[in-house]
Amino acid sequence: MSHPSPVSLQGVVTLHVNGEGAQVGAALHDTLLTVLRDRLQLTAAKRGCNQGVCGACTVSVDGMPMRACLSLAHNCESVEVRTLEGLLDCPHLQALQAAFASSGAFQCGFCTPGMLVSARSLLQRDPDPDERAIRSALSGNLCRCTGYVKIVQAVQAAARSLLPEGAAS
Amino acid sequence: MTTLQGLYRPKTVDEATALLAQDAEAKPLAGGATLVAMLNARVIEPAALVSLADIDEIKGITVQDDGRVRIGAFTRHRETAACTLPLGSAAVVAHAASQIANATVRNMGTIGGSISFADPGLDYPPALVAAGAVIEIASVQGRRTLPAAEFFVDWYLTALEPGELVTAVLLPAADRGAGVYIKHARVAGDYATASVAACLHADARMSVAVGACGPTPLADPEADALLSTDRSDAAIARAAQWLVARADPLDDVRGSADYRLLLIPRLLLRAVRAVETAHRSAA
Repeated sequence: MSHPSPVSLQGVVTLHVNGEGAQVGAALHDTLLTVLRDRLQLTAAKRGCNQGVCGACTVSVDGMPMRACLSLAHNCESVEVRTLEGLLDCPHLQALQAAFASSGAFQCGFCTPGMLVSARSLLQRDPDPDERAIRSALSGNLCRCTGYVKIVQAVQAAARSLLPEGAAS
Repeated sequence: MTTLQGLYRPKTVDEATALLAQDAEAKPLAGGATLVAMLNARVIEPAALVSLADIDEIKGITVQDDGRVRIGAFTRHRETAACTLPLGSAAVVAHAASQIANATVRNMGTIGGSISFADPGLDYPPALVAAGAVIEIASVQGRRTLPAAEFFVDWYLTALEPGELVTAVLLPAADRGAGVYIKHARVAGDYATASVAACLHADARMSVAVGACGPTPLADPEADALLSTDRSDAAIARAAQWLVARADPLDDVRGSADYRLLLIPRLLLRAVRAVETAHRSAA
């Protein structure tokens, strides 16, 4: 039986990031987060714990929030990656940005990009989430400053701003 | 520096097991939720990884010809939690999946990866034992199956031999029963401090298993037999003491061993009442 050969021993990986193909050098152990930040200079996703716990590195993979620190870059050649930088034209994201700013939903801001990616995914699935749904959707994103109250309020405000007039529950 | 020399992306189980047989140092990589975290922390330094991401035959949930529900090893927790097939008492497995970590990690982690890691605080092991699930395992020698209760062997140790790979979890054919997973954790998304999986089968038989209170899930045939005929508070308390007698918990950051022993009767009572309620509302 012939064995499939190891991928990319020459250390180049082809990724699809924010709608564009990118060929970048990456060691086999480099995570998607390392390649995004250190090779592609896409620094919205943050390296917090590098253990999949804090959620600061959350990016969209094939339309779903995932941890960039828990994916090996070489294992991401067949998926579509969107970082916060690649979501700036999304109306859900714009509404969230406006609501985070007007609600004061951050202090140091380190968790904010991950919060926004997770919250955007929630609003796409559920345009009118209650507090429980918001807290559940954001439970993988740690914030050590705010206590979450204003973040939850901001997501509620963003959802309301996107709903048709009079449709809010 | 990591010693990672190779990353393979086989398309079939046969290719994957051939690679694992050929390179004893190679580790299978599923969703990455645990293995990549361990790589990042340099807790493990495998020479090669065999990524299972391209193997379609181990993805998704289907009903087999014999009625059993087959959860492919590469099925993400999100899909298992959202399973719309009727599961009956094996719904305990979907209920457990819905309580693993958080939504983002549930988008990544897989059932095969989770049970192969075999951390006693995981949510699947007690649910699979209570449900009477069977683990399907492949190697170059072929396939074999093991009851979940025999798959989990010790702290972080399964019955997997070198070169073997979990390919599926098989749940019993759906009955008209109900299954519930009750988890006590410090915060939502943490590993369980203690947990109880309870299945109430169509014939009124009960099966329960306790998680995070020993190296492997605790189950007790006498406790199941008693709860199958008597679910008074007193009977539940007696059954809980038999489970406590089998417990071998550790002190850790999530709770002391003594605290875990206190939790078993409380969680068992909640789980039995919850599964009775679920069974009534399903009827």
